[in-house]
Amino acid sequence: MNEWTNTGREPDPLPSSLPGPTAPGLGEPQAEVEETLKRIQSHKGVIGTMVVNAEGIPIRTTLDNSTTVQYAGLLHHLTMKAKSTVRDIDPQNDLTFLRIRSKKHEIMVAPDKEYLLIVIQNPCE
Amino acid sequence: MTPGKHSGASARAANGGAWGYRDFRGGQKKGWCTTPQLVATMPVSPAGSHKQQNFGLNNATQPKKSISFFATMKATSVKGYTGANQSRMAVSKTVLIPPELKTVEKPNPNIKTTQVFDINGTDVTPRPLYHPDPLTGTAKPSKLLTSQEGSLGSEFISSYSLYQNTINPSTLGQFTRSVLGSSTVSKSSVSASESIAEDLEEPSYKRERLTSFTDLQVIRAAPEKIVTKEDLEKNIEIILTETETLRFFDLPTVMVSVESEEAEKVTQRNKNYEVLCRNRLGNDLYVERMMQTFNGAPKNKDVQCDKIIMEDKGIMSTAWDLYDSYNAMELVSLSVKQSVVESSSKANVLPKDQDQRLPGSTTEKNSETSSLMDIENVILAKIHEDEEDHSDAILKSDKFHQDLFFMERVLMENIFQPKLAAYRQLPVLKEPEPEEPEDVLESAKHEEVEEESKKEEEEEIHAEESTIPANLERLWSFSCDLTKGLNVSSLAWNKTNPDLLAVGYGHFGFKEQKRGLACCWSIKNPMYFFYCFSESPQKHLGPVWQLQWIEQDRGTTGDGKREILVSISADGRISKWVIRKGLDCYDLMRLKRTTAASNKKGGEKEKKDEALISRQAPGMCFAFHPKDTNIYLAGTEEGHIHKCSCSYNEQYLDTYRGHKGPVYKVTWNPFCHDVFLSCSADWGVIIWQQENVKPSLSFYPATSVVYDVAWSPKSSYIFAAANENRVEIWDLHISTLDPLIVNTANPGIKFTTILFAKQTDCLLVGDSDGQVSVYELRNMPTVLETGRGDIMDTLLGSKSNQSA
Repeated sequence: MNEWTNTGREPDPLPSSLPGPTAPGLGEPQAEVEETLKRIQSHKGVIGTMVVNAEGIPIRTTLDNSTTVQYAGLLHHLTMKAKSTVRDIDPQNDLTFLRIRSKKHEIMVAPDKEYLLIVIQNPCE
Repeated sequence: MTPGKHSGASARAANGGAWGYRDFRGGQKKGWCTTPQLVATMPVSPAGSHKQQNFGLNNATQPKKSISFFATMKATSVKGYTGANQSRMAVSKTVLIPPELKTVEKPNPNIKTTQVFDINGTDVTPRPLYHPDPLTGTAKPSKLLTSQEGSLGSEFISSYSLYQNTINPSTLGQFTRSVLGSSTVSKSSVSASESIAEDLEEPSYKRERLTSFTDLQVIRAAPEKIVTKEDLEKNIEIILTETETLRFFDLPTVMVSVESEEAEKVTQRNKNYEVLCRNRLGNDLYVERMMQTFNGAPKNKDVQCDKIIMEDKGIMSTAWDLYDSYNAMELVSLSVKQSVVESSSKANVLPKDQDQRLPGSTTEKNSETSSLMDIENVILAKIHEDEEDHSDAILKSDKFHQDLFFMERVLMENIFQPKLAAYRQLPVLKEPEPEEPEDVLESAKHEEVEEESKKEEEEEIHAEESTIPANLERLWSFSCDLTKGLNVSSLAWNKTNPDLLAVGYGHFGFKEQKRGLACCWSIKNPMYFFYCFSESPQKHLGPVWQLQWIEQDRGTTGDGKREILVSISADGRISKWVIRKGLDCYDLMRLKRTTAASNKKGGEKEKKDEALISRQAPGMCFAFHPKDTNIYLAGTEEGHIHKCSCSYNEQYLDTYRGHKGPVYKVTWNPFCHDVFLSCSADWGVIIWQQENVKPSLSFYPATSVVYDVAWSPKSSYIFAAANENRVEIWDLHISTLDPLIVNTANPGIKFTTILFAKQTDCLLVGDSDGQVSVYELRNMPTVLETGRGDIMDTLLGSKSNQSA
């Protein structure tokens, strides 16, 4: 029997042991990832979604290659700088998320040692 | 071929009269250089000396040249000196005295050498320090000699001149012109000059005469003047003066006091020294000796080495870099293997990311620039298999999940920002409309105009709002594909995290049995749930209608407050669930069909007595008393509400009869603890008082089943009811006959559940389409803070008389 527990805090998202209401065959984390990515891409106002690895090579992207590469390169530098700033102030701290809001849209970057998750959204639509 | 080599020249120093001459020997082809041992200083008649010389030396080849030296005599004929070409290696030289010289010298039989006597008559004639090499000649014209007028003896002159460096054939010409002495030139000199003239030509031919003499007869070009006998015999005084003392070494004496500590040592040393000095004179240990040192010729030497390559390296030392380095040093010893594995698996990753981990690595800047190049290069090339695997690894990583999760939340926040702000009672940000590019000035003005108009609008809105009645504004709804079409059967807030909502989905109809769902939603992401739970518990034999966590005092067992899960189901049991090696339940109460003697229920009783299919009454809902958690109410399908206690599981404390249909919801008033509310399928909502078995107030707002009812957490007068097709907000303070707000649903959709948000003025309504809509209560009448309970009583007291 599956238990319903209210642990009082948000559980880990999308655990892999989740029986989940998703369609059959999508129990693997890979599929969850794809599903989530698709959902993100289809959200209102999202211009593009990119996942690039540490070398700047796109793994998943909805934009064209040159734009992706440009974004990846530029945002990598900025992320490094932001991370350096955060850690300079407190070395035990670390950068988790970076949002750049501009006139036209907002760029959201989730940095990691191995990849960069970039989403560009136009929040005004 | 050094000038220092002798050929065993015999010293003929004894011969020389006033001549300093060079010894030679007849060497032919070997090129010897001879050096004289001494320079004669004895007065010798020139003639005799010459003769002697001639005798002694005339060997072998007939010299064509003669080497003549200065006359040391006064006023003697001028003799030039010869400069020999060292390279020539003059074989042998003889002194030839031209006959003219002899003639000249004849009238001067008495040749005196210069001698110096001091006051006391001591002979202090200075002896020459330098013994000239016969082959070497002066290289430079000596001005000293020119300036003096017979002041120094020619011997000095010769010696002095011979001090000079060796000469070259090219410079020989100069010597001929150099005035080597001030000695007078006699006729002989004229003749000598003639011979010199001949000799002058010779230097050019010297090379041809390797075996011959390279002697030159050089004669001073002294001014010609007629020298008389008187002049020759005149006594010329030579005055010697003492020059200044040149200090080469000065060691000042050191005075030491007798009373000092060192005095003894010093005196001892002094004594030793005196002894030493005394012993020194005849001592074998101390011998005076002179040494000649060789001055090595300096030589330039060049060394070439490889080019020293210089590189500039820059390091940016940041606080976190230092921190990482220190930590890494500690971790290295612990996790050597792990790091090895990591590094091997991340071989493809450029070091720029590893720099932050590796201690002391500082090539960030370099690697960044190179990485950009790499990026462009690699992108042109196709993705390799390694990278594909790597990219898969990235996609599968947990961190990526989490990042996606957060990213979605952030996106939602952006999209729903105004709604969320309204939900949280925050001022709503007005997003500036994206303007087309205009001039700055124009846009500024435009913005100003807009702002003003907005302000006006806002003012109008405020003005209007005060007249607009209370309304529900729909903010958003929780829904997604997977929950579409299901009935929302229950809603519950998370107690700890007020942003989390649990929604139960079921299907009320019996035709299509879809499986049930329970999903967790978060306010932050209204478009997709984050947790889902798909099976339904099986232990109840019938559908479980309500689940609730109750905080219960366990005074008897002394455990303090504990939360227990209580459920009520259609099989008539109210159970308490406990987790002990699995989920276990204890029955709190079994709902039995009432057999209370009541006129209204008389008919039922008979029926029940006849055919007792089941003595259990299906329970639909329950509510624990907010203060006394031992007491709870249970609503049944019969329409009765029983007040029970946890202490007794056999008997009810009270039964409230009023509903004629299944009681779907019972809920206590959060402020006034004696009052509770119930709704049922008989289209009615009834307010009860605890003491009163009869209903206090009842509402029949519409001809539809009331599925759910809930008190507002903010006011004791307000409650919400979910009918089939509308949501009603009642405010008892204002009116007990009509609801304050009525919100109608879209056709075809039934509102099934209702829930108030605790901190905000929002209402959640679940419907039969699987949607949970969030509504904001606007323009609610201000809540009266004071004495809610009392007012309730008075209100009810007054109303109860009317309604009952």
